[in-house]
Amino acid sequence: MTRMLALLGKELADLRRNRALFYPALITGAASILIPFFVAVVVPYLAGERLADSGDFKMAVDMYRTQPLSRRLDPEGAIQAWVFQQFLLLLVLTPIAGAMSVAAYTVIGEKQARTLEPLLATPITTTELLVAKVLGSLIPACGLAIGSFAVYVLLVAIFAKAGVFLMLLSLRSVAIVFLLAPLAALAALQLAVCVSSRVNDVRSAQQIGALLILPLTGLLVAQLTGSVQLTGGLISAIAGGLAVVNIVLLAVGIRLFDREAILTQWK
Amino acid sequence: MLIASHLTRRFGDRVAVDDTSYTLEPGEILALLGPNGAGKTTTLRMLAGLISPSAGSVSVNGETMTPATAPRLRGHIGFLTEAPGLWDRLTVRQNLQVYARLHGLPKQAHAVDAVMEMFNITDRAGDLCAQLSKGLKQRVALARTLLHKPNIILLDEPTSGLDPASAREFRDLIVRLQDEQHSVLLSTHNLDEVERVATRVAVLRTRLIAVDTPAALHARLFGSRLRVELGQPAATFSATVAGPGVTDVAVIDNALSIAVDDPGDRAPAIVRRLVSAGADIRSVVPEERSLEEVYLKLLSEESDS
Repeated sequence: MTRMLALLGKELADLRRNRALFYPALITGAASILIPFFVAVVVPYLAGERLADSGDFKMAVDMYRTQPLSRRLDPEGAIQAWVFQQFLLLLVLTPIAGAMSVAAYTVIGEKQARTLEPLLATPITTTELLVAKVLGSLIPACGLAIGSFAVYVLLVAIFAKAGVFLMLLSLRSVAIVFLLAPLAALAALQLAVCVSSRVNDVRSAQQIGALLILPLTGLLVAQLTGSVQLTGGLISAIAGGLAVVNIVLLAVGIRLFDREAILTQWK
Repeated sequence: MLIASHLTRRFGDRVAVDDTSYTLEPGEILALLGPNGAGKTTTLRMLAGLISPSAGSVSVNGETMTPATAPRLRGHIGFLTEAPGLWDRLTVRQNLQVYARLHGLPKQAHAVDAVMEMFNITDRAGDLCAQLSKGLKQRVALARTLLHKPNIILLDEPTSGLDPASAREFRDLIVRLQDEQHSVLLSTHNLDEVERVATRVAVLRTRLIAVDTPAALHARLFGSRLRVELGQPAATFSATVAGPGVTDVAVIDNALSIAVDDPGDRAPAIVRRLVSAGADIRSVVPEERSLEEVYLKLLSEESDS
């Protein structure tokens, strides 16, 4: 545990001086925040029309009228709440992007900087090393996602209809940000660590992130078209699935991290 | 103490190290010599518990290195890798602190301060490692290697690329480690360095060609010879020096190169005979070949065989 914490501390100290690694996540976070604002606030304002006047959003109004928290919202507020909630799934991409940038570099970067061999010469075990590497990417990435969520809620409170921001503080929304996002990020970065243990190129490890970004994007589209409702039950099921995936990936990561191959076959 | 017993490492069909055995005693500096690709780094990695031997074993302080014992035994070994391998975005102190925690040292701050003091890098403690010169990086890396007070120290090309002053500091430090009864294994191509510090030399080319003291290797390959410088042409006296224990005499201008079984015992009689014959003796010294000649001859003989 002490050794794991020692390496984790090093990872975090290293990241503090290499903030550029988080630019992709910052851009993703900013885009995730801005896109729903364009849809729910900016476009209607520029067009001089209300979303509630369009029949396309009738489903949103109907859906939100059935939820106790939204009953006091007017139709425009209910539609805004629907849009902001649907796009909340985009915030899950922020920690994935952050984790991927860091995690892909985590083993390959050490090897390229020739810092891995002295590290492996200490009593640290493979499990301690991998857990430290994974947490070193996950903690800042999740911090970024939570920060983005706070900014999102704040902007909704300022620019959207009164009371809409309360809809973002529902259990469902909190579960997406605080449960689904970290689990998805953890799976993405464990995949990246697995890949970075076996390849010599950071880009190869980063591309593996597409494996998780694609289904999440599909889920977002399915939600927007009404094919899927991201209910509390579905969120729990996805979270449970991701938890299992993460346990399997940890075991696979430990098996794939071959000290000897990394030291003797990488050039 | 470190014991390598029939150590072998194969990578697929290629044999990198073949059946090498030797012991590294406390207070000893064993130099590991060999051409590029001879298996030196592979040997060091096996001794450091980073890779497993395909056959044979490594014993550290009486305990055999296995995948289960390797993490703990690595704590008794200090391994200076060929590259300093410092985290560039961390300061000197931060680098050492992380390793102090990785080794589970009890008084980490004190240990870090002590080792920085020992290597005279305290004034650079707050500098990022990226800002250090190559010599300073190497010094920090050696500080990291010795931080946990290992009794076995493995050094892979420690003075490669260092300026002469830094290399000399390094050699002084290696000798200091020997005085403190550390066991030091030094892998290098720098034969001059080996001549200055090593107590024994191991020559490796996949298999161990020789392991002995430099003097013993020299005597085995070239025999013991005395060189007598005269004030006149030496050819006149070549027959004069013949006697018990003298096996060969060669004339080189005004000097005689005399092969003897024991230079210390035979020198007085040889000098007496030469003086009696009227030779004007300028100097009598044991004839020494450089380690480079010894090394090249060993490799050459191994190739021929």
